[in-house]
Amino acid sequence: MDSHFLLRRIHSLTGIVPVGLFLVYHLYLQLYLHSGAEVYNEVINGFYDSPLAIWVLVIVVYIPLFFHAFFGIRLMFESNVQPSYTYFSHLLYWLQRISGVGVLLFIIAHIWNTQLGPWISGTWGAHFEHLSSGFADPESGIITKAVYLLGVIGAVFHFSNGLNTFCMTWGIALTPKSQIRVRIISFIIFLILAGSAFYALSAIW
Amino acid sequence: MPDTVTFKIKRQDTETSGSYWETFIIPYIPNSNVISCLMDIQANPVNAKGEEVAPVVWESNCLEEVCGACTMLINGKVHQSCSALVDKLEKPIRLEPMSKFPVVRDLTVDRSRMFDALKKVQAWVAADGYHDLGPGDRLSQSHQETAYKLSECMTCGCCVEACPQYSSDNNFLGAAAISQTRLFNMHPTAKNIADERLDTLMQEGGIADCGNAQNCVEACPKSIPLTESIAEMGRQVSGKLWRNIFKA
Repeated sequence: MDSHFLLRRIHSLTGIVPVGLFLVYHLYLQLYLHSGAEVYNEVINGFYDSPLAIWVLVIVVYIPLFFHAFFGIRLMFESNVQPSYTYFSHLLYWLQRISGVGVLLFIIAHIWNTQLGPWISGTWGAHFEHLSSGFADPESGIITKAVYLLGVIGAVFHFSNGLNTFCMTWGIALTPKSQIRVRIISFIIFLILAGSAFYALSAIW
Repeated sequence: MPDTVTFKIKRQDTETSGSYWETFIIPYIPNSNVISCLMDIQANPVNAKGEEVAPVVWESNCLEEVCGACTMLINGKVHQSCSALVDKLEKPIRLEPMSKFPVVRDLTVDRSRMFDALKKVQAWVAADGYHDLGPGDRLSQSHQETAYKLSECMTCGCCVEACPQYSSDNNFLGAAAISQTRLFNMHPTAKNIADERLDTLMQEGGIADCGNAQNCVEACPKSIPLTESIAEMGRQVSGKLWRNIFKA
């Protein structure tokens, strides 16, 4: 066993635990957008009230997330384009890589827009107002909405398709039958997460 | 029915020279395959311009899709040329050498890397000495069925040719060799060195280089369940990873 193997396995694991689980939790919290500004801000600020919040965020989310992202980009350079083989799994293979890059760009913009930006400008705390005014902006609102739509669908796809390949990599789904079963389950998870995310966004659309 | 078939063949004179395309038009024969057409070209090596050229070089042995030697790209997709029927192919038929291996000449490639991979994973039954070891273990019907399917691999190269992770820049073992580790790790005698095979799979170029594109299983002419083999070996190396961390 060498670092080559270990790093790839850590890359595969971090995509699900903790980054994937954080995505699910994060999308769940956004459903509070339907509860109005006061409740939403209370829920989000409630997390940051903990003195350990920043540490939890860095250790559980940022380090695994950026390791997964940047190592994933390194892995992408090992891929060769093989256009003659038009199989569905092969399409998913490329969508996984393209969505990974797209989602990384989205996440960087998302962190800047919702976390670092408000911290620097001193408007931190009024999360609901910050988000809804960004969406309602007569000029940039349409772009913000489009970016969120693509970012959310990319993240949800990358996670649910990642679940599918995770089960192959770690030897959880062995037979072709079970691999198809896992693919169907991951597609259902994709629909549920995408539906939940779009429903949450509809509150401030 | 047309009375001729057109072949566009990607040729290369030596290992180091550049490649070029040459067109050949040969008489159409019903039920012919790509090899029989290559034989016609060999018998009368005149290209579409009417020039007499060096005959096209290719490799073949069994002519019944068992040896894997005549594997090449036919209309851009990898397949054995012996079992590629002219009637079923889009015309003109494009023939190219496999892209993942060094070209020796024309359609002949050097697949040594695949055989080296089999050596690396020790894809054999290691029997030490000539003394009588007694009768082998009795194997169940289901074991035989699984093992027989895996043993049909002819190391032709279709799986690695179609694989987006296998390239001349890396040293990935490829699906065929990973599937052979599964075959020998389930064999009652060969599994004595199962751990050594797992060690090889857990090194650079091993199973972690698989990107789950699953082209291998689609491209395999013998319909070997390659993704099942990769997942099974993924499970075995996961177990070894666990043992390395908590039990070593």
